[in-house]
Order: sequence, then structure tokens, then C-alpha cells
Amino acid sequence: MSNIDLTPSIRRRYRAEQRFKVYCMSAVAFALLFLAFFFIDLVSRGWPALEQAQLQTEVSYSETVKAGHYRKAIDKSLQKIASRGWLRTLPLYLRQHPDRVGDKEVMWITADASVDQYLKGHQSNLKEKQRKLVDRLYSEGRIRLGFNWDFFTRGDSKLPELAGIHSAIVGTVYVLFLTMIFALPIGVMTAIYLEEFAPDNRLIRMIEVNINNLAAIPSIMFGLLGLAIFINFFGVPRSSALVGGLTLSLMTLPVIIISARAALKAVPDSIREGALGVGASPWQALWYHILPVAMPGILTGSIIGLAQAMGETAPLIIVGMLAYIPDEPSSVFEATTVLPAQIFTWAGEPLRAYAERTAAGILVLLAVLLSLNGLAIWLRRRFERSW
Amino acid sequence: MTEALISEGRLVGVAKMDLSGPLTAVEDDTVTDLSQDTVGVNSAPGDMIAIENLRLWYGDQEALHGITMSIRERHVTAFIGPSGCGKSTLLRCVNRMNDRIPDCRIQGRITLDGKDIYESKVDVVRLRTRVGMVFQKPNPFPKSIYENIAFAPRIHGVARKGNEMDELVETCLRRAGLWEEVKDKLHQPGTALSGGQQQRLCIARTIAVRPDVILMDEPCSALDPIATAKIEELIDELKTEFTIVIVTHNMQQAARVSDYTAFFYLGTLVEYQNTNTMFTSPEKAQTEDYITGRFG
Repeated sequence: MSNIDLTPSIRRRYRAEQRFKVYCMSAVAFALLFLAFFFIDLVSRGWPALEQAQLQTEVSYSETVKAGHYRKAIDKSLQKIASRGWLRTLPLYLRQHPDRVGDKEVMWITADASVDQYLKGHQSNLKEKQRKLVDRLYSEGRIRLGFNWDFFTRGDSKLPELAGIHSAIVGTVYVLFLTMIFALPIGVMTAIYLEEFAPDNRLIRMIEVNINNLAAIPSIMFGLLGLAIFINFFGVPRSSALVGGLTLSLMTLPVIIISARAALKAVPDSIREGALGVGASPWQALWYHILPVAMPGILTGSIIGLAQAMGETAPLIIVGMLAYIPDEPSSVFEATTVLPAQIFTWAGEPLRAYAERTAAGILVLLAVLLSLNGLAIWLRRRFERSW
Repeated sequence: MTEALISEGRLVGVAKMDLSGPLTAVEDDTVTDLSQDTVGVNSAPGDMIAIENLRLWYGDQEALHGITMSIRERHVTAFIGPSGCGKSTLLRCVNRMNDRIPDCRIQGRITLDGKDIYESKVDVVRLRTRVGMVFQKPNPFPKSIYENIAFAPRIHGVARKGNEMDELVETCLRRAGLWEEVKDKLHQPGTALSGGQQQRLCIARTIAVRPDVILMDEPCSALDPIATAKIEELIDELKTEFTIVIVTHNMQQAARVSDYTAFFYLGTLVEYQNTNTMFTSPEKAQTEDYITGRFG
């Protein structure tokens, strides 16, 4: 053993180590606590939006209904508690399916939002008489809380019981797809040029510095840039998926370039030399040996960049994607809304039913983001190689 | 053309791959494209490479101070010298690997078969198919053993997929003494082999394009003595067909494998001799000091 008496100092060192460990662990615990709080709160708020009050009644498809008196489709006593918005769709339905005129059908129809809120135990503006009616129907099993398919199959609506997230999801898919198409090839090719072929001179260094700076610019700036270039100069339609995709690809480009360059830089130089040494051209070395090794890194970075773009709201507000747009777009030139913008719109609505939908929308957004990040991790694992 | 390529399990230099360009050799290895006007002053019959007053700078720093030497065909030439003496730098000039270094500048001439390889019309890709290289650290491609060999012949269009390629891969692996060890796992990654096997795979990969010259940059420095012995044995066999230039820190290795030895010090060529003479009675005192271990 040592000739020096270490006993007191060693004990002190161990104690310091122990203390440090406790600090670190409490920091992690603190973060986890917040995360748990966040999720529990979101789920408990968002969950009710997945259930919607429904009413079982006989619907008569009469000529009167087809002519526009949609309220006549159901019994008079139920007219106050059924969703007016749902009934309003009937005349159009009958015009499209004239053969149904004269039929009668017993079915579950969407109830008014106030019934929904009453059943969920929240404040509701139902009158005393209607409350009794709802209670009675509920005990008879003619009113129920069913799964809210409308939330996933309908667009935004001014009537909360009909407001859904479908057109926002379609819009997000459009915008993200366009972002990918624009940003991925340009970003990866820029990274390849800068990393593999560019000479080391002042111009290239300046470009590199600027790309790094762009990645740190507040995203709302890209919205202003998109507004100035794409809408005002090139005349791309405002609020369209195209302008959204272009704006977000501007924002995502630096992220993709930086991560693709990092992935290329991580490929050992010995692989390049080996390929060049057997007479491969720089392009062949890149295509057959460097890119396959760098691919998982490039894909991971790109997916994370796209996920970031997907959750972005600020630049899209500037290019007009925050408008009330209930319909899904049929082309990239049409006005569309996206998930975060839809959530933002709902968050500003005073009705309680919208607050539920806001939380549920956030849950959908989080689920998509988590699955995108999961895909990135899976890709990295799947294609990881050793050398 | 490819039938002639493989005869009795060894590569013969009869069928040259179609690399019609300034560096094309004709049917016979020994008779090359004889445009004698470019032959350097130091070229003698049997010389493969002639280096004439080669100076090289990395930025402002001069790394090679005018090297003049010639390297004989189908012999092993060893470059020795202390670290930083410029031997690896010189080696990498011969297949223009230094082109990759941005601030590297050279002056002087290197001729291969009488042709200046730094002439502007010389295609670097063609040059590197004639001057192959084996690196210090084994660097197989992160692909299968088979793909490691097949890559270069495929991109050069020497052999296509199928039997032809299978035979070529087998021949190259046999020539590198690796066939028996890997024949059952050709489609496993080359990176899973041991260090010595990886280095022999790299040699096999290099001879698959049938170069005239093989440059070896300290090929055994990352290997154990047994793997080293195998590589040295292989070098001895390969010199019947290829001109080999090897950089080594190991003087015993230089003495064992080489026919000629060049001693470099601080960017100059101090002495260039027949290996036997070099290690028994060197002309210069500096050389003697180095090989007897008094400095370096």
C-alpha cells in the first residue's frame, strides 16, 4: 500500500463524488417530472376530444329536407340537442343521392356541443328542460359518448362538435412532402460539393460560415423571406401548400446541409484514398463507397430537420397559412392549413370544446413527430456499418 | 481479351485493359509506348520510374529538396529514413495522391515508362490504375470481401459480373495468399477480417486492376510479426510481375524484401544503393549511422 496516509482525503473525495451524483440525478428527475406533468396534462385534456356525444334518432330524408329545411329531418323535440351543423349537411347529401329521398333511417347522429360538454361534466349552456331530456335519453341508451371519428375525418369548423383535424393533416403531408422534395436534394448536393469537391478558398469559407449562421436564424425570418420572394416576387399563391413548402425548405436547408456534411466528414479518409488508389474517379469513390457509409447520418439529420419543419408555425403565419380553412387542399396551389397552425387557431377559441381539440391536436402532432424521430433512429441502426 | 487474362491461376500482363490514353502500354509489358522524346536523362533500360529533380512544398515549407532517382522494373525498392524525411511524400507523388492536398506544390518531373505523369493531359484515374497503392492502415472498403476485389475491375470494365468476375476475384485472392482463408466467406464484410488479412485483401484489391507499379506505404506497421512475415513473402512473389516501391521504418524489413534501398534524410536523398551494398558497406557515414541505429 501507499506510504502516504490517504484516508481522510479519500473519504472526502468519495463524499464529493456522491454529492455530485445526487445533483445530476436530481436534475434528471426534475426534467422527468416536468415531462410527466406535460404528458399527463395533455392526455387528460386531449382525451375527451376523442369522445363525442351522439344521439340515436330516426332521420327522414324528405323532399322538405332536400329543399333546405334540414331541421325537419328529425323529431322536433330533438332539434335543440342535435348538431345543427350535422343536419345542415343533409340537403347536399340528398341532392347528391336523390334515390334516398323518401327513406327513413334510425341512426346515430352527432349531438350539439353543449350536450357533449354536459355529458362530460363541464359547464354547458343547456336549459333545464333540455338537461332533463338528455338525462332521460342517456338512461335509455339513446344518447352516448362514442368515438369521435369526425375529429379525424373532417376539417375545421365554426361548430366545435364538427371541428376536425383532417384537412390540417392533409395540408401537413403536402407541405412536408414539398419541403422534402426541395430541401433534400439541394441540401445533400450542397453538402457533397462543400465537403468533397470544393476548393479551400475564401469564398467557400464565407459560404460555410453563412450556412452555419442561417441555421441559427429565428424561423420567423424565413417567413418574411418567403413572403418577399415567393409571394411578392414570384407570385406563388398565398396560404398555399407550395409557398409553405418552399418557405420551410429554406428553413430546413441549413440543418440538412450541416448534418449531411457532418456525416460525410465522419467517413474515414482511408476509404476515399482506398477507392482513389484503385483508380476510381472522385465521383465513383463518392457514389460507391462514401455515400453508402454516410447515408444513415444524412438521413437521420434530414428527418430531424423535416420533423423540426413540421412543428414550425411562425414562418407559416407570415405566408398566410393561419387562415380559417375548413377544406382539404386539392392541389398545392390551393389555400391549406397545417397541424401547428390549426392547433394555434383552436387555442385562440373561447369554447371549451376547442380547448379539448387543441390538446388532442397537440397529441396527434407529437405522435407524428415521435414516429418520425423513431424512423430516424431505426434508419441509423439499420444501415450502421463498421469500418 | 479476358480469356488471356487469367492463365494457370496467375495474372499475366498480356491483355492490357483498354485505357487508351497517354499512359497506355501495348500488348507486351516490356515494350511500352515508345515516344522517346519524353524519356528523361536518367532513364536506362529496365527503369520503370524516373524522378528528376523533384521538389515539393506544403504551403511555404519545402518537404522535398530536389530528388533524382530511378526505380527499376520488377524489383523491390525500399525507401527508408527517419520520420518526416519525405519518403512517404515522395511515394505519394508517384501516383499523384498528393493532388488531394490543397496547398501542395511540386516542381520537377516524374516519368513512368518515359511519360511525364504531371503533364496536364495525363488522366489521374488512368495513372492510378497503373500505379496501385497499399496504405499504412489496412483500409478495405466497408463491403464484402468479394466486392472489395470486384469494385475496381467493374468500374474499369475489365470484367463483368458472373463467372468472369468470380474467377478474377479468386485469382487475385490466391495471388495475395488469402484464398484458402476466405473462400467460404466471400460475402462477409472485408472489415471483419484480421489486420493482416485486411492488408492482404488490400493488396489483392490492388493487383485486381493489374497495375505495373505497386506503392506500399509502411504496409506492415500496423501488423504483428506473423502477419508481417506473410506480407513480406507476398512481396517477394509479386515482384516477378510488379514493380514494387515500399516505404518502411523497419530496416530489417528493407534488408529482407528489397533489391534496392534509398535512404532519405530531411527531404533529400542521401544514398541509393543495391540493398546488399547499402547494409554491408554504405558509402555515406550518415547512412551507416542510421542503419546501425546511432540516430533516427
